[in-house]
Amino acid sequence: MLKAQEIRELIQLIDQSEIGEFTYETDGVTVSMKKSNNHSAVTANTKTETVPDQPSEPVKTAGTEIRTEPKEANAPKEEPAAEKTAEADKEIVSPMVGTFYTKPTPESDIYVQKGSKVEADTVVCIVEAMKLFNEIEAETTGEITDILVEDGELVEYGQPLFRVKTK
Amino acid sequence: MESTRYRLIELLEASREQYVSGQFLSEKLNISRSAIWKHMKELKKDGYVIEGIRRKGYRIVKSPDKVSENTVQWGLQTNWLGKQIIHKATTNSTQQVAHQAARENAEHGTVIIADEQTEGKGRMERHWHSPKNKGIWMSLILRPPIPPAAAPQLTLLTATVLADVITEYTTASPNIKWPNDLLIRDKKTAGILTEMQAEQDRIKYVVAGIGINVNHSYDNFPSEISNKATSLKLETGQDLQVVPIIQHILRCFERSYDAFIRDGFSTIKNKWESYGYKIGEAIKIRTNHEILEATFTGIAEDGALLVHTDSDGTRKMYSGEIEWFRK
Repeated sequence: MLKAQEIRELIQLIDQSEIGEFTYETDGVTVSMKKSNNHSAVTANTKTETVPDQPSEPVKTAGTEIRTEPKEANAPKEEPAAEKTAEADKEIVSPMVGTFYTKPTPESDIYVQKGSKVEADTVVCIVEAMKLFNEIEAETTGEITDILVEDGELVEYGQPLFRVKTK
Repeated sequence: MESTRYRLIELLEASREQYVSGQFLSEKLNISRSAIWKHMKELKKDGYVIEGIRRKGYRIVKSPDKVSENTVQWGLQTNWLGKQIIHKATTNSTQQVAHQAARENAEHGTVIIADEQTEGKGRMERHWHSPKNKGIWMSLILRPPIPPAAAPQLTLLTATVLADVITEYTTASPNIKWPNDLLIRDKKTAGILTEMQAEQDRIKYVVAGIGINVNHSYDNFPSEISNKATSLKLETGQDLQVVPIIQHILRCFERSYDAFIRDGFSTIKNKWESYGYKIGEAIKIRTNHEILEATFTGIAEDGALLVHTDSDGTRKMYSGEIEWFRK
């Protein structure tokens, strides 16, 4: 999920760029921005006395319109290549920044794989941060349709780790 | 039953030099003389030496340095930590006992202590050698009201508590190797393993596992770790009593934890850095994708490792294998 600070930064960047429209999608949330370019930027010299008939209102610089809308919880991902994943209706996300592990030790079997049936309390992976080992539970009953992260990879807060088709 | 026994110890300790009559104890505790006698017998099992003289009464001659629910709890003086203690003479691992207890709703502050662990473990289930009566093998069950992402800070907090206690109780000067190992003269003396069960935004429980090598001699370490591990006794020449150290850890932990929950990580951060191992020195970090050589500059406001390289500037790391000892 984007923070207000990050959205602000995005606005600034897009404002200064040639980009007219921008859409960003993550974690079931879409952010769309569109520049209203019909306002042409007017420079500061409008205030000098030699221009008596200046517009009474200061003209806005290029405006930016922002829309943040949560997607429908059940909306399938629009990835035409992966038909199977279209069935998935839930994601298991990381509660913290850290390293993703599919198994408790390098020698162990992995917790779950594609097609594994999970219960709410099934441990699906470990996320380790600063040597704290967090066993992540599925928190839902269903079937794992996709493992989105590789063993040993760094994950962000809120990053989707698994897709699940719930029962 | 249990609390009667603590009261009994209290009454006896209160008048250490004098005998306390069975009649007096029986009235104070509101139990029969024969019940008192049974409690005395249990206390002797814990290692208390109690002298009983006809017509005079009872007197504690010696308090034990034997770990038990009684000996740890008596004189502990904490508000919530260690109100429930589960002591095992031998167990597979205190972490496993703690997980089991936590799943069965053990309360916040429950402490599990073992004299010996047959399957003591560190990170990645690496074996932690925990021979009988040589060290402190202990796990704390916590239910902190913080988001899961803040929980790793408890590991650093625990490390500062152990460093403080070692500094106070021994002549050794410990360092903390990020985030959580205690070293004395570059050798590992104590380790911490923190494990958590959490939902997306709520911690169910945290188990903070503590292993301290206390009275090991050289022979007590397996040969493959004898050049990397040490004990408080080996480093200081001091024979240490385990029970008062456990009690002091619990007291310090409670104080530090309460401050952390109230004020956040900032107070821990400074203390951690005062013990920090190799701050200002070059280290090598191995992640899945890269090997990074950088200068370790300190820890961030959330406990993450801060490193500096000329090419990338300052980076914040939460994870990765660090080669601390390679030159």
